[in-house]
Amino acid sequence: MAHDTPTITATLRDRTGTRFSKRLRESGRLPAVIYGHKTDPVSVSVDAKEVITHLQHGSHVFTVDVEGSKSETCLVKDLQFGYLGDNIIHMDLARVNLDEEVHVNVHLNFSGTPEEGKATGAIVSHPLSELEIICKVSAIPEEIKVDTSEHIGLIMTVGDMQLPEGMRTEVNPGTPILMISFVAADEPEGEEVDVAEVAGTEPEVLTKAKEEGAEGES
Amino acid sequence: MPRMPKRIKYRKQMRGKMKGNATRGNYVAFGDYGLQALETHWITARQIEAGRIAAQHFLRRQGKIFIRVFPDKPVSKKPLETRMGKGKADTDYWAARVKPGTLLYEISGVEEDIAKQTLARIAHKMPVRCRFVGRRIAV
Repeated sequence: MAHDTPTITATLRDRTGTRFSKRLRESGRLPAVIYGHKTDPVSVSVDAKEVITHLQHGSHVFTVDVEGSKSETCLVKDLQFGYLGDNIIHMDLARVNLDEEVHVNVHLNFSGTPEEGKATGAIVSHPLSELEIICKVSAIPEEIKVDTSEHIGLIMTVGDMQLPEGMRTEVNPGTPILMISFVAADEPEGEEVDVAEVAGTEPEVLTKAKEEGAEGES
Repeated sequence: MPRMPKRIKYRKQMRGKMKGNATRGNYVAFGDYGLQALETHWITARQIEAGRIAAQHFLRRQGKIFIRVFPDKPVSKKPLETRMGKGKADTDYWAARVKPGTLLYEISGVEEDIAKQTLARIAHKMPVRCRFVGRRIAV
């Protein structure tokens, strides 16, 4: 494995639902569910701070010690976020074997700037920040390092990437992961609002055009 | 020039309600960092444009700005010294409906501190409280 599997302790949740989950979150726990491998799903709660720290460091697989039963290797299958879109409120864990092949999204860590990107007015953008890969659970990396310093050309695609051994992807090889665009030297940085010009422009009203057309025909 | 739709089906709209939080467009999808609204408001096309200009003046041809909201709501206003009645007035400006959690702008191709400074300048042009956010955890 690219890194050691973190071990987390889970407590069984005997009462589920919005109100009980909310109380758990207020006490620093994170509601989660463990399912898969044709076994009954189990509602558990884990320590929120510990799990979020591991997730932020790129962990995808956990060894979960459920109170009163044996420990299980689980893959983070899904995360639910709160209303502002970044606070984790629930986690789905799927039971896996270390030799099983799984689909996971892994963060792309870009390093270096291509020669073309060093030119004046060049904007280097990364349209894809994470890539879905297929690999064994034991080989899931925290991130994929992409060295772009030796790349030649204005576009780098998924096909140009060197994936580590044992990993493959089903993403279209033509999907760009790095694009270099240029801003023209004489292009204005920002135009001021011309009130007179704005007042003169109006969008086309589709229903009005239809009515006029019907009148013209009759 | 402020943004507005090219084609519309109906000239005027009712005011509508804006209950709840954003359930779409509430995470960084295109850039590396974003500016997230924390309040509900109509953001006018002029305010969106002012934010874009402020960012581009500061960035000086670095990075890329993504505007995540579009002013597609026509807001009408009666002219001054006009008696009430005689039907709904003409469109005065175009606005984007923004709920708490909506990503307003995103930025890519710059370092985090530059992105923070740029989005702070944009936030000064916005009629809502905003915060700086990064990308979500990938699973």
